[in-house]
Amino acid sequence: MLKAAIVLTVSAASVPVVAATVTVQVLDVAGAPVPNAVVYAEPTGGQTVAKSLKQAEIEQKDIKFFPLVSVVQVGTPVLFPNHDKVRHHVYSFSPAKTFELKLYSGVPTSPIVFDKVGTVVLGCNIHDQMVAYLQVVNTPYFAKTDMSGHAKLEGLTNGKYALKAWYFKMGPNEAAMEQPLNYQGADMAASVKLAVKAVPVQ
Amino acid sequence: MRWHRLENRIVALFIVLILLVQLAGFVAIRKAIDENARASIRDELIIGERVFLRLLEQNADKLTQGARLLASDFGFRQAIGTDDRGTITSVLENHGARIGATLSMLIGTDQQIKASTQAYPSADLQRSALELVTKGADTNGASETVIVDDSLFQIVAVPVRAPVVIGWIVMGFPVDQKLISDMRALSSLQVSVMVSTRGGQWQQDVSTLPKEESGMLMHQLPQKPGNSSFIPQLTIGDNDYSARLLVLAKGSSNQSAVAVLQRSISEAVAPYRRLQLILLTISVIGVVMAIFASAFVARRITSPLRSLADIAKRLGAGDYRARIEIKGGDEIGKLADAFESMRTGIANRELEIRRLAYWDPLTDLPNRVQFATLLNSAIERAKASNGQCHILMMDLDRFQHVNDVLGHSFGDSLLREVGRRLEQQLERENDKVARLGGDEYAILLPATDVTEAIRQAKRILQSLEMPISIGDQTVDLGAGIGISGYPENGQNSDTLLSSAEVAMYVAKRRGSGFTVYDPSIDKSSQESLSLLSELRRALDRNEFLLYAQPKVELATGKVVGAEALVRWVHPEKGFIGPDNFIPFAETTGFIRMLTSWMLNRTAILCAELQKKGITLKFSVNLSTRDLLDQDLPTHFADILTRNQLSPSSMCLEITESAIMDDPIRAQLTLERLHGMGVELAIDDFGTGYSSLAYLKRLPVDELKIDKSFVMNMEHDADDAKIVKSTIDLGHNLGLRVVAEGLETLAVWHLLKQMGCDQAQGYYMSKPMPGDRFIEWLEQWKAPEMPGQSENMAI
Repeated sequence: MLKAAIVLTVSAASVPVVAATVTVQVLDVAGAPVPNAVVYAEPTGGQTVAKSLKQAEIEQKDIKFFPLVSVVQVGTPVLFPNHDKVRHHVYSFSPAKTFELKLYSGVPTSPIVFDKVGTVVLGCNIHDQMVAYLQVVNTPYFAKTDMSGHAKLEGLTNGKYALKAWYFKMGPNEAAMEQPLNYQGADMAASVKLAVKAVPVQ
Repeated sequence: MRWHRLENRIVALFIVLILLVQLAGFVAIRKAIDENARASIRDELIIGERVFLRLLEQNADKLTQGARLLASDFGFRQAIGTDDRGTITSVLENHGARIGATLSMLIGTDQQIKASTQAYPSADLQRSALELVTKGADTNGASETVIVDDSLFQIVAVPVRAPVVIGWIVMGFPVDQKLISDMRALSSLQVSVMVSTRGGQWQQDVSTLPKEESGMLMHQLPQKPGNSSFIPQLTIGDNDYSARLLVLAKGSSNQSAVAVLQRSISEAVAPYRRLQLILLTISVIGVVMAIFASAFVARRITSPLRSLADIAKRLGAGDYRARIEIKGGDEIGKLADAFESMRTGIANRELEIRRLAYWDPLTDLPNRVQFATLLNSAIERAKASNGQCHILMMDLDRFQHVNDVLGHSFGDSLLREVGRRLEQQLERENDKVARLGGDEYAILLPATDVTEAIRQAKRILQSLEMPISIGDQTVDLGAGIGISGYPENGQNSDTLLSSAEVAMYVAKRRGSGFTVYDPSIDKSSQESLSLLSELRRALDRNEFLLYAQPKVELATGKVVGAEALVRWVHPEKGFIGPDNFIPFAETTGFIRMLTSWMLNRTAILCAELQKKGITLKFSVNLSTRDLLDQDLPTHFADILTRNQLSPSSMCLEITESAIMDDPIRAQLTLERLHGMGVELAIDDFGTGYSSLAYLKRLPVDELKIDKSFVMNMEHDADDAKIVKSTIDLGHNLGLRVVAEGLETLAVWHLLKQMGCDQAQGYYMSKPMPGDRFIEWLEQWKAPEMPGQSENMAI
């Protein structure tokens, strides 16, 4: 399911531009592959990038948010459908987006648009254990690492980028790991090493 | 209390033993109680410590819950999320007040204090809060007991999640009186919380003790407590405690906070004290009972012992009447039985001893000792009443002969019979007969004058005139009685007895029946008494000398024999004639020893002469006593054998009176001597009263005419006739006739004419010492015989 979701998001971003792929591997402080890390490339060479603002969903099921980690381009509306029988009170006090969806069930009528770059930590006021992370990025080139810590960025236009990696276990005020990337249309691979320790996927 | 008494010793021993046992028990129990109490106090304190810690923990939990409730408040979280500090501070104040926190603050994820109910929280608090946040970062909150501004606080830190941690709420609560009061209610322990100041001095935070006691407690705490520790002994005021020191927090600058849990020892021991009191009571009762029991037992042992000791004392003093009345089969009973048999045994034996001491066992009459006692008391009574008393002392005549001839058992019967007769003669109740010994009796006549005593003596003598028949034997008895009396003859029993004895001897000598003591007879009797001892001494010292007077044959003038005589040369008195001691020796019996001496010496002299070829027949005189001596013939035979003499070389001379004293026995002895072959002669013939018929039967060989006839025959025709007829009589009986007292040659011729065989007298020689006899023999010349003059008229 996780795999399907990644495919979904990546394909959404890469459909218009058929190009080569940048494969990025994310490793933790111990050199182990980090799954569920967000990898994105922000253009630094002034190249224009497309908008990929397709509505995303973060559902609530079994008193959990799913997926745990999501990534969207800034300005993307995100829907929070409740598939549980109980109600949820989804909120965020994160500076990137402060909102609350007071006790509701079913699918809310309107999605929340995340119009600010940053990390949004989502919680449920009545289920303390529920947590989800939404990384709002300023680029259409983003992906999440799979179980082996690999992520594929596709559809990049040639030019210079800042390749960034973020992991939800990083501190709340900690910036994403960043390294330059010069894409020239060919498949290429990159590796990012994080200062945190990876946690296993649940 | 006298220690040497057995009873007291037993009681003391019991008490000491009981006390030792009780004391040992008491000490052991007390020690056990003490240890038990202390152990239970220690346990109580350990439990108290756990309870106290648990109480603190619960308190902290409660506070944590409160803080956590705040942390999950959506509005509060929203305020934090939007960094609305004013709202945050007011929420902290409001909620803190609600759960009793005196200080509350919010710490951001960047470790900065975002909000605080105190405008300027102390450095202590800030530091403690940040430490606690760090400590609780990985958990869901933490609590800590800390020192803040010299007071003890519990602080808690809980994270604020939205849903990730967006900050920390830290809240602080003072450890207050309520907490320790709860503790006191739960555990019966005294609880004090002390905090040391930066200067190192303890200061009280809160305590269940009164103010002054907790002040005293502070001074006894160690300055720098290391860890939690046990304080076994803590004295505060009048109370002893055991305590546990519990280090709750250590602050900067060496500050520490401790809780002191105290347990009163006296309270803990109180239930045991009651037990001890009961034990003590039991001990006291036990000791008292032991005293009584041991006293009872001891008395059971000692009171019979005491009465036995009393009885023994009385036995020692001679009182045998008290029966011993202690019964029982135990050792004491046996001891009492032994005492009883000892008492009766001693009593019986003493009775017997007394009987032997004061009574004559043969006659059952009082003996000499009792008689002396009775006499003394009679003298005392006479003294008191100015009166008199007399005694008679009696000795039987010839009793010794009777005893020897008729046997001792006859003699004993005779003595008893005499005793009975004497008693029958007593006329008054107080008169007493006693047997003094042998055939000697004494009669006490108290309050009697001499006339009466003489009358009594006569009466007794008269009673003895009647012959006494015992069995088929009849004996004629005579007796001599001496009379003496108080006050004229003596002042005490000894002198009276001895004077009576003297009088008695005189009576016997005189043959007068009785004699009243007179001082004039005492002198001679005194001499007599000393004479006897001197005679004995003389024999020992060889003061006697053997003399001899020759006997010549009248027809030829030849010496044919000699009469052996004894002389005594006293070392002081000089020469003592035989008339002065021989009669005395005869009455006292000493004569037998003297005769024995004479026989010995004469035999020696005779044997000596025979060795020199001179054969002479030596004559020795025998006394009455000698004739009654059954052993004499044997004894004499021994002497002859020893000197290798034939019996015929000696001749024994007996006076008529000696024979007539006891003719039967005298004849018996003479016949035995004659049978041995010894020649016998009748001495002093003509002075006694012997019957010729009797004389005829005697086995004699020689007749010696008494010198009283011979010495005067020269001038007295009667004497000459007597001599002549005696010579004829002797010759007719076939006897040799010897004349004594030949002093002149004319008498020699006369005697020769009368046909007398031999003569002795001063004409030939006075008696001379035996050693000079040979000398005399050598110079003896017989007178010239004036031819045969048988025709010479008488």
